[in-house]
Amino acid sequence: MKKILMIILVGLFGTALKAQNIYFTKDAKINFNSSTPLEDIVAETNQGTTFIDLSKNEVKFSVLTTSFKFRRALMEEHFNENYMESSKNKEFAKAKFSGTITTPVDWKSDKTVNAEVRGDFTMHGVTKQITAQAKITPGKAGIAATAEFHIVPQDYNIAIPAAVSDKIAKEVTIKVEANYAPYQH
Amino acid sequence: MRKSKKLRFVLWFVLVGILIGIASVYYVFNMPRRDLSKETALFHLQASQLISDFKSDENAATTKYLDKAIAVTGEVKNIRTLDNHSMVFSLEDAMEGVSCTVDSAETVRFGAKLAGLKMGTRASFKGRCTGMLMDVQVINCVPE
Repeated sequence: MKKILMIILVGLFGTALKAQNIYFTKDAKINFNSSTPLEDIVAETNQGTTFIDLSKNEVKFSVLTTSFKFRRALMEEHFNENYMESSKNKEFAKAKFSGTITTPVDWKSDKTVNAEVRGDFTMHGVTKQITAQAKITPGKAGIAATAEFHIVPQDYNIAIPAAVSDKIAKEVTIKVEANYAPYQH
Repeated sequence: MRKSKKLRFVLWFVLVGILIGIASVYYVFNMPRRDLSKETALFHLQASQLISDFKSDENAATTKYLDKAIAVTGEVKNIRTLDNHSMVFSLEDAMEGVSCTVDSAETVRFGAKLAGLKMGTRASFKGRCTGMLMDVQVINCVPE
């Protein structure tokens, strides 16, 4: 009986301890820019889901590609139908990142740190390693973070037709902005 | 005389064709955004049903619901306003439920109706399903 109680207590305490180290938000802002002098191509969504596990310095991000909003409805249609092929399957419908903050961060301080985040970025069914430059501001109530990285669409098997290749930047800049809150479940 | 009449007819024909062409290119290029309040929902379902459809077979559910207008009903478990003034209503479960996002313009348009939706009440939203992350996401929502 005592043993069982002990197991339950350790279990409860263990999960409580674990949960304290996890921060999350489901409203991360993600935008990308592939503008050229010929065409402004900017898209944004507020529906990024992201977690930080402070004990392992791990970061996870995921976003649904059909949630991106462009300046024109036509761009949204092209983005999802021709480039991302979002409706193909669940993998194509999402973009994901899973990585580690490689610069040491003092989670107890509230000073902004310039950090490097490295990991696997998956979209259009292709996974590649990327490195993002991040600014992380820890705090008692939550963690604020911004990050930026660049990708080349061709690396992710996204073919850009010659007819529009002058209008779409060769390198796409992706920016994220998230205000994390402690994860309680 | 007849020849010039024929030529004139052809020229008019070509001109009208070009105008229609320009107009349709212009229309497609400036295609209006989907207004979910004017669309008929292809599926009417409970939030719990939508969640279980996605959890049991995400691929099948993605094919079935992605980008479709759906109407979903469930208990409000979380309400939050984002800094861009859009509102998010979590149905059925605050963490792994259905997230219905109402764009800022719609929060003004349907302000009175949305104000009546409190935690614990049942609510229905019609919107565009974009898939599942932790929760099933429905965006561009309008209250039903």
